Amino acid sequence: MSSDANPGIANEARAGDAGVGSGSISQARAAHGIGGPGPDHDNDGYAAALAFEGLGVSRAFGATQALDRVDFDLRPGEIHALVGENGAGKSTLAKIVAGTLRADSGTLRLFGEAYSPRRRSDGSAAGVAHVRQQLSLVRGLTVAQNIELGRPRRPGTTARRPWPRVFNASEARAEVERLAAELDLSVPADRIVDDLPLAVRQQAEILISLAWGARLLILDEPSSALGPLETEALITLCLRLRDEGTPIIYISHRLPELAELADRLTVLRQGRVVTAGTDVAAADLRRIAELMVGDISLLEVRRPDLELGEVRLEADGLLLAAEHGPGLRDVSLSVRAGEIVGVVGVAGNGQEELAGVLTGQLRPDAGVVRIDGTEVTGSPGAAIGAGVALLPEDRTAGLAADFTLAENLIARRVADAPFARLGVRLRAAVRRHARALAERFDVRPPEPALRAGSLSGGNQQKLMAAREMERDPAVLVAAGPTKGLDPHAGRAIRDRCFETAGRGGAVVIISADLDEVAELAQRVVVLSGGRVTDRFGVEEMTSARLGAVMAGLAWDPSGEAGRSPAGSGAPGATP
Amino acid sequence: MSTTAGDATPTDSGDTAGHGSATGGTGGDGDGALRADTTFERATIGLGTSLLAVVGALALGAIILAGSGQNPLTAYGAIIVGSFGDWFAIGETLARAAPLAVVGIGAAIALRAGVITIGAQGQLIAGSLGALCAGFVLRDVPAGVALPLAAVAGALFGMVWVLIPALLRAHLNVNEILSTLLFNEFAFLLLAYLLNGPLKEPKAITPKSEPLPDSVVLGDLVASTRLHAGVLAVVVIVALFGLWTRSTMGYRYDLFGENPRLAHSLGIPGRRIICNSLLISGALAGLAGWLQAAGLLQRLFVDIAEEIGFFGLVVAMLGGARPLGILAAALLVGALQAGGLHMQATEGIPASLSDVIQALILLGFAVRYAPQIAAIARRAVRSISESLSAVAAWGRPGSAPGSAPGGSQKRPEGS
Repeated sequence: MSSDANPGIANEARAGDAGVGSGSISQARAAHGIGGPGPDHDNDGYAAALAFEGLGVSRAFGATQALDRVDFDLRPGEIHALVGENGAGKSTLAKIVAGTLRADSGTLRLFGEAYSPRRRSDGSAAGVAHVRQQLSLVRGLTVAQNIELGRPRRPGTTARRPWPRVFNASEARAEVERLAAELDLSVPADRIVDDLPLAVRQQAEILISLAWGARLLILDEPSSALGPLETEALITLCLRLRDEGTPIIYISHRLPELAELADRLTVLRQGRVVTAGTDVAAADLRRIAELMVGDISLLEVRRPDLELGEVRLEADGLLLAAEHGPGLRDVSLSVRAGEIVGVVGVAGNGQEELAGVLTGQLRPDAGVVRIDGTEVTGSPGAAIGAGVALLPEDRTAGLAADFTLAENLIARRVADAPFARLGVRLRAAVRRHARALAERFDVRPPEPALRAGSLSGGNQQKLMAAREMERDPAVLVAAGPTKGLDPHAGRAIRDRCFETAGRGGAVVIISADLDEVAELAQRVVVLSGGRVTDRFGVEEMTSARLGAVMAGLAWDPSGEAGRSPAGSGAPGATP
Repeated sequence: MSTTAGDATPTDSGDTAGHGSATGGTGGDGDGALRADTTFERATIGLGTSLLAVVGALALGAIILAGSGQNPLTAYGAIIVGSFGDWFAIGETLARAAPLAVVGIGAAIALRAGVITIGAQGQLIAGSLGALCAGFVLRDVPAGVALPLAAVAGALFGMVWVLIPALLRAHLNVNEILSTLLFNEFAFLLLAYLLNGPLKEPKAITPKSEPLPDSVVLGDLVASTRLHAGVLAVVVIVALFGLWTRSTMGYRYDLFGENPRLAHSLGIPGRRIICNSLLISGALAGLAGWLQAAGLLQRLFVDIAEEIGFFGLVVAMLGGARPLGILAAALLVGALQAGGLHMQATEGIPASLSDVIQALILLGFAVRYAPQIAAIARRAVRSISESLSAVAAWGRPGSAPGSAPGGSQKRPEGS
């Protein structure tokens, strides 16, 4: 590998080594004239120095105007956050910058030069890397193999090997290790991507895009699937990259995170810029949230008073060996009617397995699951019959993307009375039912004949919620139910969870997002290394306590966290 | 649905195969049965493009024909005359389309459930043997009883021929493409042995069986054609398939094919669906064998299956796995085959060239219906990749082989 494949890192490495602290940030800011209030600079002065500039960018999908004359710019050495609701146009803009989509109109400039990518490979050849929620690594290959596969050809460099391009395993491994050392990441070169925790996969993708010569990074909802510690690591990485000269467009809903991370912030709403390039340090986050949503009251949680009843969900002594991760090691849990229990922990500590076992989908090696006293252990059919509803964390597991809305909504009750007679589906009834249900759960658009896969992420989640929660479930298991949703959609889903509990359902929220749990749950259970390491009421939940127990440390309320690891070998607990 | 799946593995709720009849849920009114299922209603590509594809294929064929010294116009004329030119030609087209449609429907039911079987060829041979056996047993039984029994025997033999691949796929995740392909070989070799040995007509020079007894032979529908009464059975099967696509059971099979993890979470027993869809496709391929043996040829030849098994898969894909689509695709392939034979006979065009022309025209139509084909192919590809990743996981350190057959369906992806 020649060093010119990665000018950003190579050139700035010394500065980074000297101290990643505020010194280099202020240097970078001074160098690019970013210190001041921001928007009112004379543009002509440093327009040439902009890392990216888009003027009047528009893009329509059919009748929907996804972007409407949007101006956006990214200065060198800054993190510019792009915020907005689902469907506000953030991802569309990101795809246009990356070259995946083409704008209908508008002009783009990249590092001062005219930029008109026709496809994604043009974008990557120009040094734009787009890291999406759905990572693009090949999952069956190692990180080192991934770095070699699909390396873009760049004019005037030797980034791509000359013919014959034989895969040189040791060279690729050395490249991964060198970059990992430079970035202070622990990305193993020789592990299969599929076996790595999500956070490490994401780091690997960022690392690979830098190896491929990225000079501009777009991170699309990078933290939505990460726990607090992993998010912290991501923020550190982003700041480091910025300080070493790689500007970042950072897309997120999470305002607190942006306050820590971003230099400027642009809010999109319904395809238009609401506020452009605000200086984050000077911004009022509540005001930003208001601009995003248009109605601040949506952000305030009104937790209803819930009356607790009989125990509805009971899990006792669950043991499960898993292929990856710790599985479950003697987990017991009981949830009463009207109760919402939050299960928190770093991803990969048994959450997936717990959701699977509680809903009967996974048969534990030992232990029982009862719903209203009926045993449903390891039988999804029995669990459904007992009134279990599941919102899986991975939406692709919970929806049939090629089916229509109507067909998806009927999945739980396809053979029920009004929708089928003598084993034949009655499509008119199914369609009517679908329209009413989609409207009730605010699925947009509530068009029964539409493919489910064509909906936006938030609406897919609402669709799934509509199917699962249509008839008050006895037990609701929701894994990361508001993950990646805009405040509007997130609010709608939260309200549905409260509603389910209010009508006597037992609700389990499994999430790495502590805010989500804090808003919803009355009781919190911490899962670490496949064990329940702590239980407490939500009012006792403090970030110090959670941080300690989630990292596998015992919580000592008197002072510092203890040092005894409770769940050794927990994956995902990345540095 | 079963409520107490006593399965040791956590992946699948299906207990054992063969519970309950697979076709039990298709009773009821046939109102609108042949309307296309909304799942597969997709926008077709523009009319211009689609016409261009077929015209382009014809043009390319014309160039090839001209290059080999044939007149393309008379060659194409011969295809049309040979497929629709007179009653005999129409009879040939229909008689060829009939088994293709039946095999295609069996393949389509499996494809919709995410199962790819290419064993129709062998199951068809087994079905024809079943019809022959039924004929020998029922030699003196009145035709009214013997005829339907022979059909049932054909279906049963076809089902038996897919039983082992079905069980292997459902319980050990042995890829059905491989196993059904191998079972084709077994069937062909068994037939060749039987026709050269025990079943050989004593005085015949080429290997062939004795004629089937009259009691099981399907009569001609139109005089002086080879169009037999079995074609009527095909109409019934297409209608039943239309009902299947609208039935609640068909919905569950479709849902399993579309998203196995979702189906599992809804308590739909995956193993049973895999097993039953293979058995249904085997039964239908067996019926096609019965059509060949009792209808068209009235005795068994070594090449009784021709390439119907494989072209049945082509018909299923080309027809987007939908009832009317399959019917149309079967007629198209039947017409091309009948016309192609006529072209060989009257224009002196070699069989290989005729096959190339037929394949080109089918390719043109494949472009025309690309979106529908893609929708069904997605499931097939997903199913293949899941089988393969299960195989790959077998040898990977850290995974426990044997702990979770079909584990790729289970493990929720982390991203």
